[in-house]
Amino acid sequence: MANEAVVMKNVSKQFKVLNRHEGLKGSIQDLFSRDYKIVNAVSDVSLTVEKGEIIGYLGPNGAGKSTTIKMMTGVLEPSSGEILVDGRVPYKDRTANSEHIGVVFGQRSQLWWNLPLIESFNLLRDIYLVPEKDYQDMLSLYRSLVDIEPILHKPVRQMSLGQRTLSDILAAFLHNPGIVFLDEPTIGLDVSMKARIRELIKGLNEVKQTTVILTTHDMGDVDALCRRIIIIDEGRKIYDNDIEHLKNYFGSYRTLRMRLGDDSWVEQVIDEKKTDVMHAIKEMQKEHKVKDIQLQEISTEEVIRKIYEGSESA
Amino acid sequence: MEVQMKKKRGLRFYLSIYKKILIQDLKSKMSYRADFVISTFGMVLTNISGFITFMILFHNFPSVNGWDYHHMLFLYGFSLIALTPVQCFFDNNWNLRFMVRSGDFIKYCFRPINVFFYFISEVFDVKGLGQFAFGLGTFIYAWNKIGIPVTVVNIAEAVLFLLTASLFMIALMNLAAATCFWIINSGYVMVIMFRFKDFAKYPASIFSGVFRFIFTFLIPIAFVAYYPSLVFVTPDHVPLLSWLSPFIGIAFFYVSYKFWMLGVRRYDFTGS
Amino acid sequence: MTSIRKLTALTRAGVIESLQFRLGTAVTLFANLIYLALVYFLWKAIYDSSGVDAVNGMTFYDTMIYLILATAIFNLLEMFIVWDMSRAIQSGEIIMHLLKPMRYRLYTFWSYSGSHVISFFLTFLPTFIVVAIITKGAIPMGWNLLYFMISLILALIVNYNIEMLVAPICLYTESTWGINIVKETIVLLLSGASIPLAFFPEGFRRVVEYLPFRAVYDIPLTVLLGKNGTDTLQGLLPRLGVQLFWCIVLMILGNLFWNVAVKRITVNGG
Repeated sequence: MANEAVVMKNVSKQFKVLNRHEGLKGSIQDLFSRDYKIVNAVSDVSLTVEKGEIIGYLGPNGAGKSTTIKMMTGVLEPSSGEILVDGRVPYKDRTANSEHIGVVFGQRSQLWWNLPLIESFNLLRDIYLVPEKDYQDMLSLYRSLVDIEPILHKPVRQMSLGQRTLSDILAAFLHNPGIVFLDEPTIGLDVSMKARIRELIKGLNEVKQTTVILTTHDMGDVDALCRRIIIIDEGRKIYDNDIEHLKNYFGSYRTLRMRLGDDSWVEQVIDEKKTDVMHAIKEMQKEHKVKDIQLQEISTEEVIRKIYEGSESA
Repeated sequence: MEVQMKKKRGLRFYLSIYKKILIQDLKSKMSYRADFVISTFGMVLTNISGFITFMILFHNFPSVNGWDYHHMLFLYGFSLIALTPVQCFFDNNWNLRFMVRSGDFIKYCFRPINVFFYFISEVFDVKGLGQFAFGLGTFIYAWNKIGIPVTVVNIAEAVLFLLTASLFMIALMNLAAATCFWIINSGYVMVIMFRFKDFAKYPASIFSGVFRFIFTFLIPIAFVAYYPSLVFVTPDHVPLLSWLSPFIGIAFFYVSYKFWMLGVRRYDFTGS
Repeated sequence: MTSIRKLTALTRAGVIESLQFRLGTAVTLFANLIYLALVYFLWKAIYDSSGVDAVNGMTFYDTMIYLILATAIFNLLEMFIVWDMSRAIQSGEIIMHLLKPMRYRLYTFWSYSGSHVISFFLTFLPTFIVVAIITKGAIPMGWNLLYFMISLILALIVNYNIEMLVAPICLYTESTWGINIVKETIVLLLSGASIPLAFFPEGFRRVVEYLPFRAVYDIPLTVLLGKNGTDTLQGLLPRLGVQLFWCIVLMILGNLFWNVAVKRITVNGG
């Protein structure tokens, strides 16, 4: 049996965008013009996701993350290339595909706005034709992972953003899909809610062996959940490997903080391939009095920022 | 482990889902009582206003094109009933363009059920029931005054023709709403289509030439009340189009549904 | 001077926005023509069946001109203030409006003026010219055109004040659709937009004449057609007076209600 949840081969997606003109004259022109430009949202992306994996799909705004997700979920048809999700071509059979996937878009609830959460769940059970026993088992699993009682009888429109996101994630796993797509699930949430959501995702992944494809801007999510990340920028894949490898690949960076004679702290990023920590301290001591030092491992966030910056200047 | 049986989602499945959503929706609507009261009042008021306009007209002119007061009233009642389903069941079409523009529409594409059904089922508009009651009252009153025999066949025919007549306005609004997949701000298309329904209550025989053609075949409001009503009002000479109207209605609805779905496929979901 | 420039800048922005509706204007124009054909056939049939030339002083041509131009005025006057305000309240954006230096009511009026200008030239004027040509002289072409323009501007202000009087109700309930439909139904029926006041039964008409709504459709159109003695100053001035009276009264009422309603925002914090 195939072990890949998602396979993408040389996938590209182009959009036609109308060129809009400025000002009064421009808007009269637009009334008649057919002036389009072609935008490459995704160019020649190939990737594979193993079953049961939680993968971080990262990239700056407008890099093509959402477009990729929309192609995997069958909403968009790729302009060229091949996609297989759980052995199916998502665009060709959207309905069959959607039985086996779950989708969450942060800040965009897919639940019935006016209904209490439990009624939404019941409707989803009926829509996905989930057997009653599986449904009850899933609900008890939810109860063991998070405290859902307070929100179960609340209409979605009265929920806080955090509660809504939580509900949406639970709804996405309800029919026990093989793959769940989470698009910025922790956006706009406070620290404790983020932690709860990460724990929930991790728990569900462990118990149900669900493959999770996560897009986020929050490196906290990545550090807490993903072993492997894929980074795209301007529609191209620029990195696809373990997080640990990422740090090695971009040099073993560490941040050195030093407290000087006037009690001020200075920071310096050290690339250990080029220089070592002691050398840096000695250099500093030539000109200043160093009273104290701290050493920090570089965070994933900083590495990724470096990659983004690198690809922009390239 | 893919031994899963092919799951079937037939008509019964969709009816049961619709019933469940409807019951839940009504329950939650009851919790916004002020909104419910004001909206219902507004709907009843529009119907009263329409009726007053109608009465003023006949206060000055006793007949139109050979249609006397009671025949006109029959048409009026027929059109109100036939225009109820579009109001009650398909009102979410009015929200389509906002959802498409904001990108929220995408959520309807992730479920293993028909997108059109899923979208339309989300809103049931209770206000339409006031119009239905108003229309039914007028219809029965006029039926009596004209002296149409109350037989099983006639009643069955009335139900069938009312149901299929309602498909015309539903189809028109589907087509109008679906234009938002192509045009940036398509609100005006819906407003225009919606305005045409005001003329469903007049005999189409008043139109001549090209316009008769337009309102019969292009913007088929003549089928909303006029053609089906002829079956009851002039049972001795019923035109062929009247007998065909149920089939045309079903076909037209099907075309509008296909157009709507084509829009979904064609839409590139960039609005996010 | 700066305030004038600020105001015209708003008008200009409104013009651009209206034009950006691409197809919108063209389709609306075309649909209006079809709609007008509907009105024409309906009334033609009505007059043909009645067998008389004039009913209550209105000939077929008078009625046609009246109703067609009423539709054109409807397009011209169309505002979505109730919807706008309800959206602004529900999103909390209303607070931003209250902080702007220009007073909210004035700001809204001038923002809409752009689309009024556009729809006057793109909808009303072409309609008017077509009607004038087709009816061959049924519309008097003299000073009445000037009086009509004055009356139309007053009608616009009365209509705006009605909108502004109704819109703050949104601060009390979320039922925007309900409020809007009640307002629209009442205005269209009692202003003589859907059927000329001349056809109303005597008693009903007398009541309607004491209400502000006729200032929106009935008065400007009567002035244009030169009916009911509006072709003389003695007939004209009282009618313009009635419009002016309602402009002022509605503005004062609207202001009072607005101030009471806005206090609600500041008390409840939006």
